[in-house]
Amino acid sequence: MKKEHNHMKNKKFGMCIDLDKCTGCGSCMVACMSENNVPFREDETDKRKSITWITVYKITNNRPFPDTEVCYMPRPCMHCEGHDGHSPCVSVCPATATDYDMATGIVSQIYTRCFGCRYCMGACPYHARYFNWWDPVWPAEMEKYLSPDVSPRMRGVVEKCNFCYSRYQRALDKAYCEGRSDIEEDEYQTACTQGCPAGAITFGDLNNKSHAVYKLKKSPNAFRLLERLGTNPKVYYLSSKEWVRKAGDNYIKGENPKNIKKSHH
Amino acid sequence: MSKQEDKVKEISSGNLPDDEKNEAIGFGIIFFIIGIAASLIFGWIVFPKLLYSQKKQPVDFNHKLHMEFVDDGCESCHFFREDGSYSGVPKLAQCIDCHEEVQGEDPEEERFVEEYVAKGKEVPWLIYSKQPDCVFFSHAAHVKKGGMECKTCHGPIGESTTLRVYEENRVTGLSRDIWGKNISGLNKNTWDSMKMGDCADCHMEETGRKSSVQTEKDGCLVCHK
Amino acid sequence: MKIDRRSFLSLGIGAAAGTALTPIPWKMMDDSAIWTQNWWLTPVPAGGEVTYKTTACTLCPGGCGLRIRMVENRAIKVEGLEKHPVNDGGICPIGLSGIQLLYGGTRVKMPLKKVNGKFVKISWKDAISEIALKLKVLRDKGDAYKLSCLTGSDKDVTSLLLKRFINTIGSNNFFANTTISDSYEFVIKKVHNIEGSMSFDLENSDFILSFGSGIIDGFVSPLKMIRAHSRIKEQGGKIVQIEPRLSNTAAKADKWIPVNPGSEGMLALGLLHVIVKEKLYKSNIVSDNTSNFEKFRRLIIPNTTLNKAAETTGIDSKTIEKLGRGFANARKPVAIFGRGKGDSPIGFGEAGLVYILNYLTGNINKKGGLFITDNKKYINWPEIVKDEITNAGLDKSRMDGAGAGSFEDTKYITSRLADLMESKDQKSISALFIYNENPCYTLSDSKKINKAIEAVPLVVSFSSYLDETTAKADYILPNHTNLERLQDVPSVPSGITGGLVSLSKPVVKPMYDTKNTGDVIISLAKAMGGNIAESFAWSSFETCLKSTFKDQWNALDKDGFWFNPGKSTRQCPDLDFSKLLDINLSSIQPQGSKSKFPLVLIPKETMRISSGYIADPPFAVKVIPDTVLKNNDQVVEINPETAKKYGLHDTKYAILTTPFGEVKVKIHTYNGIMEGVIAMSKGLGHIGYDKFINGKGENFNRLIGPVEDPDSGLDIAWGIRAKLTRA
Repeated sequence: MKKEHNHMKNKKFGMCIDLDKCTGCGSCMVACMSENNVPFREDETDKRKSITWITVYKITNNRPFPDTEVCYMPRPCMHCEGHDGHSPCVSVCPATATDYDMATGIVSQIYTRCFGCRYCMGACPYHARYFNWWDPVWPAEMEKYLSPDVSPRMRGVVEKCNFCYSRYQRALDKAYCEGRSDIEEDEYQTACTQGCPAGAITFGDLNNKSHAVYKLKKSPNAFRLLERLGTNPKVYYLSSKEWVRKAGDNYIKGENPKNIKKSHH
Repeated sequence: MSKQEDKVKEISSGNLPDDEKNEAIGFGIIFFIIGIAASLIFGWIVFPKLLYSQKKQPVDFNHKLHMEFVDDGCESCHFFREDGSYSGVPKLAQCIDCHEEVQGEDPEEERFVEEYVAKGKEVPWLIYSKQPDCVFFSHAAHVKKGGMECKTCHGPIGESTTLRVYEENRVTGLSRDIWGKNISGLNKNTWDSMKMGDCADCHMEETGRKSSVQTEKDGCLVCHK
Repeated sequence: MKIDRRSFLSLGIGAAAGTALTPIPWKMMDDSAIWTQNWWLTPVPAGGEVTYKTTACTLCPGGCGLRIRMVENRAIKVEGLEKHPVNDGGICPIGLSGIQLLYGGTRVKMPLKKVNGKFVKISWKDAISEIALKLKVLRDKGDAYKLSCLTGSDKDVTSLLLKRFINTIGSNNFFANTTISDSYEFVIKKVHNIEGSMSFDLENSDFILSFGSGIIDGFVSPLKMIRAHSRIKEQGGKIVQIEPRLSNTAAKADKWIPVNPGSEGMLALGLLHVIVKEKLYKSNIVSDNTSNFEKFRRLIIPNTTLNKAAETTGIDSKTIEKLGRGFANARKPVAIFGRGKGDSPIGFGEAGLVYILNYLTGNINKKGGLFITDNKKYINWPEIVKDEITNAGLDKSRMDGAGAGSFEDTKYITSRLADLMESKDQKSISALFIYNENPCYTLSDSKKINKAIEAVPLVVSFSSYLDETTAKADYILPNHTNLERLQDVPSVPSGITGGLVSLSKPVVKPMYDTKNTGDVIISLAKAMGGNIAESFAWSSFETCLKSTFKDQWNALDKDGFWFNPGKSTRQCPDLDFSKLLDINLSSIQPQGSKSKFPLVLIPKETMRISSGYIADPPFAVKVIPDTVLKNNDQVVEINPETAKKYGLHDTKYAILTTPFGEVKVKIHTYNGIMEGVIAMSKGLGHIGYDKFINGKGENFNRLIGPVEDPDSGLDIAWGIRAKLTRA
């Protein structure tokens, strides 16, 4: 049995988000909340405290009217690989509450392990991590819609996107029961991918040549956020607009992103 | 133990002024021994009794008897669903398949039919092996993929004729089976305890996966949700 | 021998040492760690078997198919139904949040009656017999025609049962919420003299000219439109968005052409001028025989048309010429119209001209063009049984003037409701049924409606929620909510060229003492007795629905929808240009005096805010950006130059005044809006519902008044003149 496991190739789950298609509708955010038992509060307008594992940012080219352009950019957890799995957050966690799994490439967050020091939040350059400032409350009968696949979080811990890992767990269970040891591409898709009405999000194994993300990440329009920090994120964006691609990182004046050597794909 | 006592004696006597030493040592030792004895009795015998509350199962179920009537062993009642999930403790509907009316002569069965079947009330079974909410346990991975026997974790429950008392930890609310019957935490059998360490050790042994960057063991989300 | 302090000390040390040799410290340490992890305030969701149930969304007219994830008998999550012609697996934020409407705290849990200004419990039986009695009195007085009904749509079976009910009582005064679909139907009727509506095959078009339609901002059938948008992007189709503000649709378009608010019709005229003058239209479309085309041609070819268009729209004539040529020369062009989400009708002037734009390119009923759709009528119920009172009532014309005289082709003039409610004379409403609509919130000049509705002696609301209108009702007969009720969901035609009906099916048992409105109407009819009971012979709403759909029922029940692609388009008869010769474009100008109100306020519509009768559930509220809502303050968008001119600063307070009201708002400066124009999100400022929904922002509809289109009578209010002053 040992052998079989060792021979299973490491996966690297990742995403390609087509910003030309993204309409900024916000379905991904709500699909995620609904899938992952994310609570809500009466006033959610302080966005620093509002928990949205995937957030749709609005960016503009900052040109005056009428040359203004706007682009929406959904931002889940980037599941940074860094170098050898030393993603910014994993490196600083003193509680072993967040971890990088080489088998899936997913950065995990174990809520019961977390003691809320929030170092990881400081370390994350993407603001992808959220702190539970309050105990979650589901008013009226709303506890009824909570999913048993994702454990609700308590006050004082950090949470973030885990690429809907519970869906991976369920997909594997099904495969095992059918005598398969692995799953097909469409058997494991995140809630945001599934819900996106525009079909802007593609999810899959970046290591697997037959998966759509493998091809998409090689598109000339593909870029990643803040790549130059060496975070080696697993979320790719596609945009036909240069100003959008350039907005993905910090460049000095006159620097052209095309000529910059990127860290390993 | 005596070695330990000597050590303690040395320390305690060393702290007293010379003139009171002898008398004090005599008394001291007696009280010290009383203290030790009392705490040992408390810790090993009274404490576990206090820590766990005893709960009787709502119906006394005879696994052994049922095993004789079913074809598919444990999976006859504790089955896998089509989607790969595990059904766990059977629902009343499954019981009704056979027990719509009283089958045998056991008064416990009669009570079960009267109180639950007739009223359509689910039996509030107490689950010995229930893990806390943060745990994702995949029966499919262990039984179907890993080919493990139920017994490995659940023990020989299938051979039991009666349901033992369910013990609930008053502090954590978890079943005693998670920590294990032995309060010392030492185990003889694979099913004696179901703590995270036990899972991790077995995963290490059986799969050899060291994909977690932090722990160099199996990934956290393999068992957590 | 004496026991002293030291003895106790020894005892204590002994006990401590002994304890260290017991499991107590280690076990307690472990247990207390576990105790903190199983925090008692954090719920533990129960597990169980996961199943999926098929249903359809009833929260907007879009008609998406849904797949509900169930754990045992709990609904866990709303997902889009794959292979459904509208959404094919996709889902919008409001639909997703629908689960919170089911389990949330805004439900009306039992039938209620208002006694001395307060709601008290009443049994279904008593409520129905009391209302029946009141209606009998109305009939006996000869006032049967004063019973009126307002519904969200006039396409679904429940609404049509309501219509049948008030007809049988003896009233013609059925109203439905009017939307852009009413403009489509009006245009088709006017220019072709047939019954039909319009659908735009955007995904197969290569040049989409959008007159402010929020293709990806929730237009009519939001998911169908968003999916079409993605296909357009894949196939390289071009989108030109004409709109005063850089909406999401404009941001994603290949070209955004800002236009002065309300002047879109003039732009259409300018484009027609170019196309007709340069003979860019398809020659087989119009000939000398086409009735009145020559007159129309002569009317628009003078250069003054182009100059006037340029002046009114603020777009220079070169751009208009280029756009006209680009559009006419495209292989499969289509011009889509209806502003924002298409919640409001537009004037015949603008609608008619844009329709002609399409017509002249020869794209009618062609792939990638505009389809004339059949108003699928699947109702084939037996005629109602009439008595004398019914006949007398039905002989009277509608109170709002629709369907007669100059508004012959208009179905309802819903904006006249307020006047009819307040009126003391013969033309007044004495009893009002409200279904799937929230007029106290959604109609323009909502302040007036709120006052007027109080003058109606009997208001019956069928709402599942305690919304603004329901709070003012005399009886609440709560309907099952979404995910609880059986209901047909007819497709709105936009984007769909086939016949499509979906079925909303109960996925959970009703949580409270509610009843399907269809069943309530049938019970009410039975309680009325006589010809009314005879007209409602169905034993239940379900049997009514089954007998209505007959052969389609199996598909509806099994797949959740019935779809017949392509079967519902209508032949396009010749066009009569005479109706376009005296087109009126002036009414589109925003109300208010320019000197008093120097700015123009326009609504901002997004997928994240439901602006119809359903309010945003908490999840949807959560994703509203803080540039739209900050704490409880409504944020208003303004061009930085305009802000500077009026001394307004980003994130600071200001007072927004229109001829209809005044609200305190916060300022957000944004480069993507024209100077002199300000925008405010629609769908906020509820006062009904609960704390997770109400008290957030301001209601846009309170700030605008109805504007009647002189041709159709429809309320075409869109923007309004406004002023912003520093607070």
